[in-house]
Amino acid sequence: MRPLWQIPRNSLFWLLLSVVISIALHLEHLPPWVALAGIVATLWQIQLYRERWRQPGRLLKWSLAGACAGGLFLHYGRMNGLEPMVALLFSGYSLKLLELHHKRDALVLIYLSYLIIILQSLFSTTIVSSFLVLIALLPVTAALVAMHGGAENTRPVAALRTGLAMLLQAIPLMLVMFIVMPRIGSLWAIPQKTSGTTGVSDSMSPGDMTRLGRSGKIAFRVEFDGPIPAQSQLYWRGLVFSGFDGRRWDQQGPWGYNDGKFLQWSDQGLEAWDSVIKRRGEPLSYRVTLEATNSPWLFALSTPLPQSSTVALSRDFRLVSKNPVNAKLQYSVKSWLNNQLEPESLVGWRHKLELALPSGFNPKTREIAEQWREQTPDTLALINRLLALYNQEFIYTLRPPALGKHTVDEFLWGTKKGFCEFYASSFVFFMRAAGVPARVVVGYQGGERHPTENYLLVHQYDAHAWAEVWIQGSGWLRVDPTAAVAPERIEMSFADLFSEQADFLSASPFALERLRHIQWLNNLRLKLDSLDYAWAKWVLGYENVQNDFLLSLLGAINPQRIALFLLLAGGIALLPIFIMLYLSRDKNTRDELDRLFLQYCSRLEKMGLPRRPGEGARDFAQRISRCAPGLAEAVEHLTGIYESARYGEEGGTEVKAFKTALKGFKPSREELLSST
Amino acid sequence: MICFDETILTKQSQQITEAIVERVESVLVGKQHSVRLALACLYAGGHLLIEDLPGMGKTTLAQALAAAIGLSYTRVQFTSDLLPADIIGVSVYDRNKAAFEFHPGPLFNQLVLADEINRTTPKTQSALLEAMAEGQVSVEGETRQLPQPFYVIATQNPLSQSGTFPLPESQLDRFLMRLRLGYPDPEAERQLLSGSDPRLKLGELSRAITPAQLEAIQTAVNQVKVSDSLVDYLQRLLQFTRSSAEIDYGISPRGGMAVLKSARAWALMEGRDYVIPEDIQAVFAPVCAHRLPVSGGEHMADNFIQQTLNSVDII
Repeated sequence: MRPLWQIPRNSLFWLLLSVVISIALHLEHLPPWVALAGIVATLWQIQLYRERWRQPGRLLKWSLAGACAGGLFLHYGRMNGLEPMVALLFSGYSLKLLELHHKRDALVLIYLSYLIIILQSLFSTTIVSSFLVLIALLPVTAALVAMHGGAENTRPVAALRTGLAMLLQAIPLMLVMFIVMPRIGSLWAIPQKTSGTTGVSDSMSPGDMTRLGRSGKIAFRVEFDGPIPAQSQLYWRGLVFSGFDGRRWDQQGPWGYNDGKFLQWSDQGLEAWDSVIKRRGEPLSYRVTLEATNSPWLFALSTPLPQSSTVALSRDFRLVSKNPVNAKLQYSVKSWLNNQLEPESLVGWRHKLELALPSGFNPKTREIAEQWREQTPDTLALINRLLALYNQEFIYTLRPPALGKHTVDEFLWGTKKGFCEFYASSFVFFMRAAGVPARVVVGYQGGERHPTENYLLVHQYDAHAWAEVWIQGSGWLRVDPTAAVAPERIEMSFADLFSEQADFLSASPFALERLRHIQWLNNLRLKLDSLDYAWAKWVLGYENVQNDFLLSLLGAINPQRIALFLLLAGGIALLPIFIMLYLSRDKNTRDELDRLFLQYCSRLEKMGLPRRPGEGARDFAQRISRCAPGLAEAVEHLTGIYESARYGEEGGTEVKAFKTALKGFKPSREELLSST
Repeated sequence: MICFDETILTKQSQQITEAIVERVESVLVGKQHSVRLALACLYAGGHLLIEDLPGMGKTTLAQALAAAIGLSYTRVQFTSDLLPADIIGVSVYDRNKAAFEFHPGPLFNQLVLADEINRTTPKTQSALLEAMAEGQVSVEGETRQLPQPFYVIATQNPLSQSGTFPLPESQLDRFLMRLRLGYPDPEAERQLLSGSDPRLKLGELSRAITPAQLEAIQTAVNQVKVSDSLVDYLQRLLQFTRSSAEIDYGISPRGGMAVLKSARAWALMEGRDYVIPEDIQAVFAPVCAHRLPVSGGEHMADNFIQQTLNSVDII
């Protein structure tokens, strides 16, 4: 059976191409079988068009839809959240390909293609993916154009050209909207991604940092107002772990403080506890552009004071974002490298917490720590003694041997090989066992200076763990045991240190970083990165400066001014198109007689009597005479004048005669009704 | 007797046309439109191809037309063993005069009905088509003029094509129009079935036009005015057939000229001395359908022509 309606061939071509491109764009976060279903649906539609295969039956379609929904539920384990919803939409979109029965089905599919392509921006907003999205809009627009093209335009290329022209014409308007349209964040709150956190997580067990050391992804970029501080100063503090269960370090809840709210927002004044932070000297001022982590914690040099309204300082001197970071986030911070945190006293429960050790683990370490404490009562001397031990006998490696139940015992007195978390963990355990309050801090250390642009690149492999020790009178003191065993890790960048090791970046087999020893590839990588950073800073980060920019542009921001600006700028942006249209319209101006004839036609059209395309004046008049005998006389008269003027002897008088006759021709509905 | 003043001629042409149509219609019931088209074809000086199933009145139309116009008429039944000499004529030795004498074949008539033209071999077809194109035949090194006016009305049967030699496109092009008669409408058919055989009246048909009048009308056809905007319209129609993806190539310039000539004749038959778009629309299908190389059957050609007329506006 032939379908009632068949999509134009060129439209189908572009539509199928759009589907394939959508699949390619979303390949990364779709279950593979959903992408496969999309391809199968595309092939099926091709075979349908070639009349090789048959339309799927109602039962098959329903069962396919059910199978998709069920499969997605099994795959994700839940239906809410961004990825399952996108996958669900996508499977519906693919299945819709199998029922192109009417024009509206094809239109729904085309509009859905726009939506699905734009949805890609929820997952990635890098410069490359943004341009891919823009390019992907082209075939969809071509499909839409081809759908509405007449029978004359059946070539795919013609539709593509029209689509391209339309998209190019839309660019000025897009820029105006980009500048002016307010970013309505809360309305567009995106459901959280279901895939796990990237970067450091909210707990640490042996091997976690080693895993990060294998990833070459960017964690964040930092632009300093002044020169970039020395590598050994760059400790990007992220999370503080005080709880230890024998294997895993994790955060301990913010309960128990009674000196103000736990979070201090920059626009809500200082909390009472702000006074326990002693800031000295000139602060460093910088902006961090963080990649999406899906977690709320942020990274800064100690001790920070946030300058952005969506970032808060927490009671344990970390930065926290208002919402989980689902997309690139830019925030400004001031940091005082010269500082003291809580030098006078530690809250009682906190003091206890920072000394707590799980019973039944690492008996040897506890014993030795107590011995050492007796031998070396001075805390600083004790720290140095332990660091000296690390320095003499330990090896820093990306391939630490596995540890059993007593992780610290086995590491300190057995294997002596480890990555930063082994050193931080064992150091803090030892200190606590010796009665010194201590905790683990994780974040990033160092970073790669961009050779030409003034910013710092921090990769996932820069993830680091170190320790903080509390000493009466000086407060929290940063101690990095890794610096003792491998000072070059802190002095040099991580990548320089480990680029020779096989495990380095083993999780990113295609990363350009692996080839950093090839000079031109390395330059290319850095060039690409600076492009991406400029994109993040100027395009994605525009919303941070939009307010100021609009203020300087408009004087004041109120709805009237915004509307006025939109109209004005939109008008200016569209002006060239108007001019082009006007000029091209001028070229094939009709002569006066034809214009008058068209007026005559439009008057009749308003009466519900449109002239059919290709219908001659006489046929038209005869048809009207049949439908509306009341108009017959006037219409015949006008047609006679028009015909002899248009096709008979040349002469200006008859144009005038037609004009005069047309003036008197004002058909009314009453006439029409009375005549029928 | 006849005044050749231009405006009077248009009126006269209309009257004469009505008279001819009336006479032909008395024999071929209910086919007024086809009769008019056939007449327009003759006025325009073109040859006519009638294509339809057997028994639809092809031959009757040709015979009635010949009688009503009063032309000398022969009918040649084309068969597969017909040779060129059979239609052109042969030289026979005359013993009395001691010389070869040419005996003209059936082609030496003003109106030739070539029945079932696709049944004969290409050789004979070519001989006929040469005569159609040139208005003369060459026999034994001597060129002989055919009588004027010279018309060929050919018929062919689209079905049962086995053992036939379909005319190639280049030869189809020689026919100004191709008509299909189709079944009569129910009323005409009832009339046909209830009365006596109208073909019996064929012998009684008298001519409704003199040779001089026919010549005058043919001259007048060339003087029918064609305005610039009408030429534009026709050109847009031709352009549309050429730019469409549904057919490989569109109407040739010769086809366009054929449309215009037929439209002129049609306008004159309507009693007008200028062509309007409706004239072009009336003759467009019979002039163009057989010139379009459409794959996928005759319906495709008809649909395409209808689509062309519906898509191209008159202004």
